[in-house]
Amino acid sequence: MASAAPLSISALPRGHELPRAEFAVSRADAAAYAAAVGDEAPYGDIVPPLAVVALGLAALQAHVTLPEGSLHTGQEVEHSAALRVDTPLTLTGRIAQRSERQGFVVTVLEFEIAPAGAPGLRARATIMAPGGAA
Amino acid sequence: MSNEVQPVTRTLTQQRIAAYARASGDYNPIHIDEAYARTTPFGGTIAHGMLVLALVGEMMHRAFGEAWCARGTLKVRFKAPTRAGDTVTASATALAAPSESAASYSVRCENQRGDVLVEGRASMAAPA
Repeated sequence: MASAAPLSISALPRGHELPRAEFAVSRADAAAYAAAVGDEAPYGDIVPPLAVVALGLAALQAHVTLPEGSLHTGQEVEHSAALRVDTPLTLTGRIAQRSERQGFVVTVLEFEIAPAGAPGLRARATIMAPGGAA
Repeated sequence: MSNEVQPVTRTLTQQRIAAYARASGDYNPIHIDEAYARTTPFGGTIAHGMLVLALVGEMMHRAFGEAWCARGTLKVRFKAPTRAGDTVTASATALAAPSESAASYSVRCENQRGDVLVEGRASMAAPA
């Protein structure tokens, strides 16, 4: 499938469905995340949920870019199942809200990350991007 | 469902921020490019919000273990930037008495100056 050039998040309208992103979190990915954040707790085969969210957002970068000066201003995560290393995951997402405020575009990106046919997690990220940067 | 939630404190050095950029793939220059960051209103690099939030995730995981990963809910706002070198403490305060079915906490991250960086709520649901 040909992939389109990534679009600026501030250019996306409410309701825009993002292309599905497929990814997996390897044991090495999970270890790198844990080392970076300094979390030494044993997780076994489980990937810390916020690592799943962070790497899911990274997978979305093929489709959505953040303009320079963008800020992450809010985050929600709801876990429905612990996700394990090396499990193929699918991210589906959409622009749930978009508003303009004092020269900034405030976008709420809503997405789910889960193995095929199984529960995973739901998340909402609020991003504030400079207006006119689309 | 009553679990003691102990604070987690960590200094978010520029080295840690750079490691998080590599681990997460988030190379926004505001986090890793000191020369660029000095030209912004922040006047220097700041930590990724998700790096700061990781302290809350760690705190809840320490309290609830795998159950947190399977049934936890987190909702926060990033209230202020976390500057490279800040020492951040994540803490939780129980909201009402935990019941058999759920436990909810007010959670926050503060730096060494008492600035509130992250504020919100964490909840644990009982097994289905």
